[in-house]
Amino acid sequence: MLDIQDLRAEIAGKEILKGLSLRVNAGEVHAIMGPNGAGKSTLGYVLGGRPGYTPTGGSVTFAGADLLEMDPHARAAAGLFLGFQYPVEIPGISNVQFLREALNSQRRARGEAPLSGGEFLKLARAQADALGMDQEMLKRPVNVGFSGGEKKRNEMVQMGILGPKLAILDETDSGLDIDALKAVGEGINRIMRAPDKAVLLITHYQRLLDYVQPDFVHVLDAGRITRTGGPELAHQLEREGYGVAA
Amino acid sequence: MISTHQLPTPRLEEWRWADMGALRAAADAEPRDFGIKPADLFLDMEGPRLLFVDGMFEPAHSRPGPVTIARFAPETPHPLGSMAEGEGWALTLDTGAAVTGIQIVHLGSGGESHVPARIMLAEDAVASVVETYAGSGWANRITQMTLAHGARLMRSVRLLQPDGFVSIRDEAEIGEAASLVSVFLGAGGMGSRIDGALTLIGKGGFAEMGGALLTSGTQKQEAAVSVRHEAIEGTSRQLWRAVAANRSVVSLAARVEVARGAQQTDGGQSLRGLLLDRGATVNLKPELEIFADDVKCAHGATVGELDRGALFYLQSRGVPEARAKALLTRAFVADAVSRIGEEAVRAAFEADAERWLEKGL
Ligand SMILES: Nc1ncnc2c1ncn2[C@@H]1O[C@H](COP(=O)(O)OP(=O)(O)OP(=O)(O)O)[C@@H](O)[C@H]1O
Ligand SMILES: [Mg+2]
Repeated sequence: MLDIQDLRAEIAGKEILKGLSLRVNAGEVHAIMGPNGAGKSTLGYVLGGRPGYTPTGGSVTFAGADLLEMDPHARAAAGLFLGFQYPVEIPGISNVQFLREALNSQRRARGEAPLSGGEFLKLARAQADALGMDQEMLKRPVNVGFSGGEKKRNEMVQMGILGPKLAILDETDSGLDIDALKAVGEGINRIMRAPDKAVLLITHYQRLLDYVQPDFVHVLDAGRITRTGGPELAHQLEREGYGVAA
Repeated sequence: MISTHQLPTPRLEEWRWADMGALRAAADAEPRDFGIKPADLFLDMEGPRLLFVDGMFEPAHSRPGPVTIARFAPETPHPLGSMAEGEGWALTLDTGAAVTGIQIVHLGSGGESHVPARIMLAEDAVASVVETYAGSGWANRITQMTLAHGARLMRSVRLLQPDGFVSIRDEAEIGEAASLVSVFLGAGGMGSRIDGALTLIGKGGFAEMGGALLTSGTQKQEAAVSVRHEAIEGTSRQLWRAVAANRSVVSLAARVEVARGAQQTDGGQSLRGLLLDRGATVNLKPELEIFADDVKCAHGATVGELDRGALFYLQSRGVPEARAKALLTRAFVADAVSRIGEEAVRAAFEADAERWLEKGL
C-alpha cells in the first residue's frame, strides 16, 4: 500500500529525513518510535504534502501512485489520513462544516456523489458517539478551546468520518487520559483494522500498542529507520531506551 | 459636474488613503447599461422598497410606505457629504412606531449621483434599513440620523457595484438608551469611502459601526469612522474586517472620543486585516481620545496572512487549496457580518461575501 524508498527531505534547507525506507502492506499496523527530534512528525508532514517540508530524494508510492507528485488534498482523496500531533484550531469554522466540506471534497474528487446535510449529520453523530465525543462539540469551531485529549479524540472522529485507507497517526496517544486512550485505541481498531487498510502509528509509549497491536515496530533515529522488529521491540525500547544497541 | 477643487486632497490627514482618482474616474465615466434588473437587487422581504436609478427616485419599482421623497441640502461640514444634495428620502417615525425591512436600492449607470437621506426616530421607535449599491458610476450619499430616547435603528449596507465608486457619509445623534447598529459589506469591484460620525448624546446609548471590506485587483476601499461619547454609560463598537487580495488596498481609521464627564463609557474597537497576496495592503489606524477617567476602551488592530497551519489542516482533510482559502477567509469576516440581526439580511450578506470569495480567490 505504501512504499517509501530512500526518502530524503529538508526543512528550510536542513536535511531531516536522510534516506528513509519503509514498506507498509494492506492489513498491517506499523509503529514508529524514536527520540524527540528524530524526524517522525516530519515524515508524516512530508507524506501529507505540507509546504515547507520538501522532499529532495527517493520515492513514495501510495496505492500505486507517486504520492510526492500529488497535491495535499488529492492525497487525502486517494485515502491518506494524517492524524496531527498538534491538531490545529480554526476559529469561525464549525467541526460539522469543516468535515462535511472535507468529505464531500474527497467524494467529488473520487467521482462520488456528495452527501446531503442530513446524511452527513447522521454519519458524524454516529462517529462522535462511537468515540465518546459529545455531540455538542460537532457544532463548535474546529478544536477551538478543546482540551489536548478532546483534540485527539476529534482527530479520530474525523478519521471515522473520512474512512481512509492509510492512517498516519502522530502521537495520537499523547495527552489522553486512561478512558480516552481506551476509546481511541478501540476507535483505531474499529475504523482501520481491515484487510484493505493500514496504520502507521507514531508513538513514544507502549500503552497505545496494548490496544492496537502492531505487526511491526520501527525505530526512527536521525532521519532513518535504524531498527525493525515485532511487537516485542516496543517493550524492549520502553525498558531499555533508544540508547541500547541492537 | 464636480470640479477638482471641491474634492478633499490627500494632504489632509483624514484623506491620505482616499482614492479620489477612482472617484473622479467614476464620475466621468460614460453611462452604460449593465443589464441589471432592479427587482433582483431587492431581498425577498416584506416592507417598503425604494429604487434610485442614477440618484433619481423610480416610483415604478418602489413601494415607499412611510418613507417620503423630498429635495433637500443637508448641513454638514463633510466635504463629500455636503455635495449630496437634491432628491432624497426621509423616514420619520413617531413614538413607539416600528417599520422594519425597509430596502433602498441604488443603481448607477455611470456618472455621478447624489442622494441625501434623513432618519428621525422618536422615542422607542424601531426601524431597520437595508441598502444596496449596484451598477456603476460615483454614488455619493449622506445619511443623517437622530435617535430619541430608546429608539433603535439597524442598518445593513452592501456595496456591490462591479466598478465605479461609492462614498457614504453617516452622521448620527444617539439619545438616551437608544441604539444604532450599522453594518457595511464592501464586496463589489468599486472603490469606496465610508465615513461615519456618531455621537452619543444621551445616557446609556449604544453606537455600532463596522463591517467587512473585501478588495481585489487594484481596488481601494476605505472606512473612516469616529464615535464620540458625550454622555455617561455609553457603549460603542467598531468591528471592521479587511480582506485584501492582489495589489488592492483597504484602509480603516476608527476613532473613539470620550468627552469630559462621559464616565463609564465602554468603547470597543477591533480592526483586523487579512492579506491574501504579497502585494496587498491593509492600513489600520485606531485612535483613542479620552477626557474622562472611568472609561473602558478595549482596542485591537492586527494585520496578518491566512494561518498556514490551518490551511494545511484543511487540505490534509481533502479540501482543495482555493476552497480552503475561501473557507478561512469567510471565517475571518464572519464576525463582522454576524452583527446583522435579521436572519434573511444576514444570509444575503453572507451569500454576497461568498460570491466575492469564489471570484476573488
Ligand atoms: N518548521 C521547522 N523549521 C525548522 N526546523 C524544524 C521545523 N520543524 C521541525 N524541525 C526540526 O526537524 C527535526 C525533526 O522534527 P520532528 O518534529 O519531525 O521530530 P519528531 O521525531 O516528531 O519529535 P517529537 O518526538 O518531539 O515529536 C527537529 O530537529 C526539528 O527541530
Ligand atoms: Mg513529532
